Amino acid sequence: MKDAPLSNCERQFLLQAIEQKKRQDGRQTYDYRSIKITFGTEYGCCTVELGKTRVLSQVSCELASPKDSRPTEGLLFTNLELSQMASPAFEPSRQSELLVKLNRQLERCLRNSKCIDMESLCIISGEKVWQIRVDVHVLNYDGNLMDASSIAAITALSHFRRPDVSIQGQDITVHPAAERDPIPLSIYHMPISVSFAFFQQGTYLLVDPCEREERVMDGLLFIAMNKHREICSIQSSGGIMLLKEQVLRCSKIASVKVSEITELIHKALDNDKKVRKEGGKCGFAESMSKERITSLQTVESPVEMTDVQETAREIIHNAETPSETTLSPVLHAVGLGQVGEGVSSGWGVEEDEEDEGMEDQPERAEGSRKGDVVVISDSEEEEVVVLQ
Amino acid sequence: MAEEASHTFLRQFGCEQSLLSKPDGSASYFQGDTNVLSGVYGPAEVKVSKEIYDRATLEVLIQPKVGLPSVRERAREQCVRETCEAVLLSTLHPRSSLTLILQVIHDDGSLLSCCLNAACMALMDAGLPMSCLFCGITCSISVDGQIITDPTAEQEKESRALMTFAIDSAQKGVLMATTKGSFSVTELQECIAVSQKASERIFQFYRDSVFRRYSKIL
Amino acid sequence: MAAGFKTAEPLEYHRSFLKENCRPDGRELGEFRATTLNIGSILTAEGSALVKIGNTTVICGIKTELASPTVDGPTKGYVVPNVELPSLCSSRFRSGPPGEQAQAASQFIADVIESSEVIQTEDLCVEKGKLCWVLYCDIVCLDYDGNLLDACIIALLAALKNTQLPEVMINSETEQPVVDLEKKRPLKVHRHPVGSSFAVFDKTILIVDPTAEEESLSTGLMTVVMDEEGRMCCLHKPGGTALSGEKLQDCVSRAVARHTEVRKLIDKVLESMKMDT
Repeated sequence: MKDAPLSNCERQFLLQAIEQKKRQDGRQTYDYRSIKITFGTEYGCCTVELGKTRVLSQVSCELASPKDSRPTEGLLFTNLELSQMASPAFEPSRQSELLVKLNRQLERCLRNSKCIDMESLCIISGEKVWQIRVDVHVLNYDGNLMDASSIAAITALSHFRRPDVSIQGQDITVHPAAERDPIPLSIYHMPISVSFAFFQQGTYLLVDPCEREERVMDGLLFIAMNKHREICSIQSSGGIMLLKEQVLRCSKIASVKVSEITELIHKALDNDKKVRKEGGKCGFAESMSKERITSLQTVESPVEMTDVQETAREIIHNAETPSETTLSPVLHAVGLGQVGEGVSSGWGVEEDEEDEGMEDQPERAEGSRKGDVVVISDSEEEEVVVLQ
Repeated sequence: MAEEASHTFLRQFGCEQSLLSKPDGSASYFQGDTNVLSGVYGPAEVKVSKEIYDRATLEVLIQPKVGLPSVRERAREQCVRETCEAVLLSTLHPRSSLTLILQVIHDDGSLLSCCLNAACMALMDAGLPMSCLFCGITCSISVDGQIITDPTAEQEKESRALMTFAIDSAQKGVLMATTKGSFSVTELQECIAVSQKASERIFQFYRDSVFRRYSKIL
Repeated sequence: MAAGFKTAEPLEYHRSFLKENCRPDGRELGEFRATTLNIGSILTAEGSALVKIGNTTVICGIKTELASPTVDGPTKGYVVPNVELPSLCSSRFRSGPPGEQAQAASQFIADVIESSEVIQTEDLCVEKGKLCWVLYCDIVCLDYDGNLLDACIIALLAALKNTQLPEVMINSETEQPVVDLEKKRPLKVHRHPVGSSFAVFDKTILIVDPTAEEESLSTGLMTVVMDEEGRMCCLHKPGGTALSGEKLQDCVSRAVARHTEVRKLIDKVLESMKMDT
């Protein structure tokens, strides 16, 4: 299914609005849409809502052998999926340009920035290390997937806890959460991507473009930065020429945005920690708004089971009893039997059917047949016996 | 078999509809900690290779949370698709495509039944014509022969047999059934009877949620 | 005339037969097609069987391999079933990666093996945590005319009963496995699951053992798998028409009868082979 195209008048309207420093949703040029972070019941699972854009991120881990070149370092994999749920234009199992771009950028943002202490993931040097996997699923697409994904990924990583292990000689024991408290990853810094959309060959600039703005933009600049104002990755796409001053200005804006977002992530993490510590309920179900007219919840409800046995017995009792008489099978030859007379195969007459069974018969017969045991009615079979 | 308890429980369940802006219908359904998000697109343009001349083509995709869909997801997709096909009046939209995407958010047992419920809520939200509604119920039989409805992942692991049924709202018949483990015929019939009872709760919930949604208009 | 009617109005054509409680191929509603079984069809495999239900033909070959068990289950081997629907068996399948039906069938067979415990994976262990057997159960459909799942289960069961595993010792010095091909022991088959498939016509009429045409015209399919103790191993109804508990019970009764039928067939064929050697 294709996405609905943008008409010329819509395009013109959007561009005119941008020229007049106005945005459709009433934001200012440098404003982000509202960000909402919620955590799942498991460790390492969170959703991020950036306006209407929504992504789900899950971190998981497993034991693996390290790379030969880096025997003391763990492994980190990121995988971003453009689910068809997000937009009908996303086709499953197809590597679109957008998907490749986002995956590359996310990998640079997380892996190449060395934000996680990889050496702490080593269990036995050169033999066993933890492999951390970050799955990011896009659930709803309304522009600026990169920023939403990078926030979701780093939040999930900070939230994640891996099981504790103990080593005795070469044996590794993985302790389940009930036995020993799981351990959080050690995170050095949190790289967060900030996207800038450029219009009219770089004359105008917007932060956090929504889907419609992305459709009319000329170019995009990603800056991944941490709160210490260190740039982790910078990438411009779309083929626009940017002046040095523009890039510097963008990086200044990014530093402000990043510190705001980092603070928000920390607040969300602390909040979740507090709820978990108090033994309160956590998870997406809890964060579901109860006031919305489209949502409804029930409490745990009992199901009466008193007359269930009765109903079951009645049905079984009333059913026809299986007929005692069953067809007995007919043996056509050694290792070939038939039951039922219904429709036999349209492959041909009876003889043919046996032929087909016979094909391999002679070979085996040579080795094992004593020659006189079986009563044979088939002429070919007889030939075999004669041969012996 | 052990003396039967007079009650079994459905965990707390709930649903939020229309929570995504892109799909034509969407719902997030939870049963206890199990949570599935679903989105529906359609009726829309269909690929020529998938076109059916007298009805709509329904595609179902189930996305696991970690990794890529496996054969297990394919088998579940088949179950959900054929259940939906049985109730959807797809002949009203010939030569078009319907796509249903289910994203597993968290699995804490009874996943297939949660997928079915989320699918039904999303189809309702999309306003697609259906001959009746359906819901999914999972029953597990514990080692001592006790029937547990809507089991958690832990209860599933300890169980001797596990069955998931889809029940239709019109006749309370069994639309879909899939089982794991071995069990007697009596146990099967008991589980069906329990599921039919439990389905009443869920259909009442569907009714309540629709009533709530349109309460401002009525 | 009849041929034209069949092509133009296939559903009406079938209905006119069902009204008279019979089917276009002359069967009654509850009658299976002739089931032919040949065990030991492939000599290069450790166990094999060929099953024909009417035109539907399925061949199953069991290959064994040695492997190391997983960390989670050090005393367990593996059973890996795979159902193939190559393009040669019907025009509805294309060559290439397995389609949805083939994947669903593979998953179904895997579920049946797991649920019925036909093979206990502990039996496949050679040495704890070091060595175990892997059984690759490759099931290939040669001719598709409906009721694939029943045929697959019979083929699988017969092939498993035909499988012989060679003796394996681990050399204590080199720690290498030594396979003694002379000494073979049959695989232990704990239970005997047999499936019966049903199709629902016009939301009310139940027929057994549907052909490919009946499958495509029907409004729902169902497979019931029973074992010899009358316990159910699997009830698989992927969707379609809703059925009441009573209707399901009728299917179960038919499945019980079918089980004895097929069980006798397998036993008789195996016996004939035993007498032969």
